Amino acid sequence: MKTARFIALVLLAGCFAGIIHGTANLAIVEPYLDEAIGIENQNLFSSGEEQDTPEFWVEYSSYRDWQKGGQVLAGAILGTSVGALFGIIFAFSRRSLPGNHNVKKALILAGIMWLTIYFIPFLKYPANPPTVGDPETVVLRSILYLSFIAISGFGALGFYKLSNRLDKSKKIAAVLGYAIFISVIFVAMPQNPDEVIAPMDLVNGFRAMSLIAVSIYWIALGIILGAFWQKLQPDKSLQTYTS
Amino acid sequence: MSYSEEIIVSKQAVPTFAVVILAIIFGFGLFLVGYDQGHLFSIIQGAEAFDDLFIHELTHDMRHAAGFPCH
Ligand SMILES: [Zn+2]
Repeated sequence: MKTARFIALVLLAGCFAGIIHGTANLAIVEPYLDEAIGIENQNLFSSGEEQDTPEFWVEYSSYRDWQKGGQVLAGAILGTSVGALFGIIFAFSRRSLPGNHNVKKALILAGIMWLTIYFIPFLKYPANPPTVGDPETVVLRSILYLSFIAISGFGALGFYKLSNRLDKSKKIAAVLGYAIFISVIFVAMPQNPDEVIAPMDLVNGFRAMSLIAVSIYWIALGIILGAFWQKLQPDKSLQTYTS
Repeated sequence: MSYSEEIIVSKQAVPTFAVVILAIIFGFGLFLVGYDQGHLFSIIQGAEAFDDLFIHELTHDMRHAAGFPCH
């Protein structure tokens, strides 16, 4: 495989998909973030931690602008890094993925990864807007979330390896095996320790938009990486034989 | 008789070097967006970085939107 071409196409695809993700967030998630931070500000005023002064709002809007602008850049960074993982797995699994077009293959893999390392973990530990989390528990919450993603991802990989050793007619057993495995883990893992005190409408709206935006990312990643792969064929090279 | 023939060779092996590079980028980027609380800039900026939270603020909205635990 052509190393440089492979790395470049993977990183570019991830970066583009990440920019799309960041832009989608700006459009659909940001209103909920603003609302949640608005509640936080009201809490700061009523507890006396901050004064409702023009100076406060000047400082506030300057760092909110920074945070919003960061959204697209952070999307590019996150998109590139998740895309790197996707690229590695795609390179190893491409031949065994169904379909005869790379876009189709990449979309199928993106769907599997979306389900196992994003959607199932999301059901267990859904995204929360500001005001929900307790700063004291952020390390614990990070460990729980990351562990669940890792267990689910490696579990899926393990059952995939297992399925390679099964007959075609029995492959469904590996899917069932994963489903049982992840259900047990789902029930066994501790809950998010934080209580949701923000209005439920806000939290649910935020979660729905966050889910849509991340899903857009995975679809974009599959399409873009698959199309690049189709065009650049990093695993093929033209060789001239003289006999 | 001599003739040359062009064929497309499919090389399936995934280069280890590429996997290592991509794995490093994955780990680094995930940490930066998901978990950095000033660690990266503390390397050049010192302890001050943990108060500035430059990266944290920059990636803050994405952190919430992508489902990472935050505040
Ligand atoms: Zn936050």
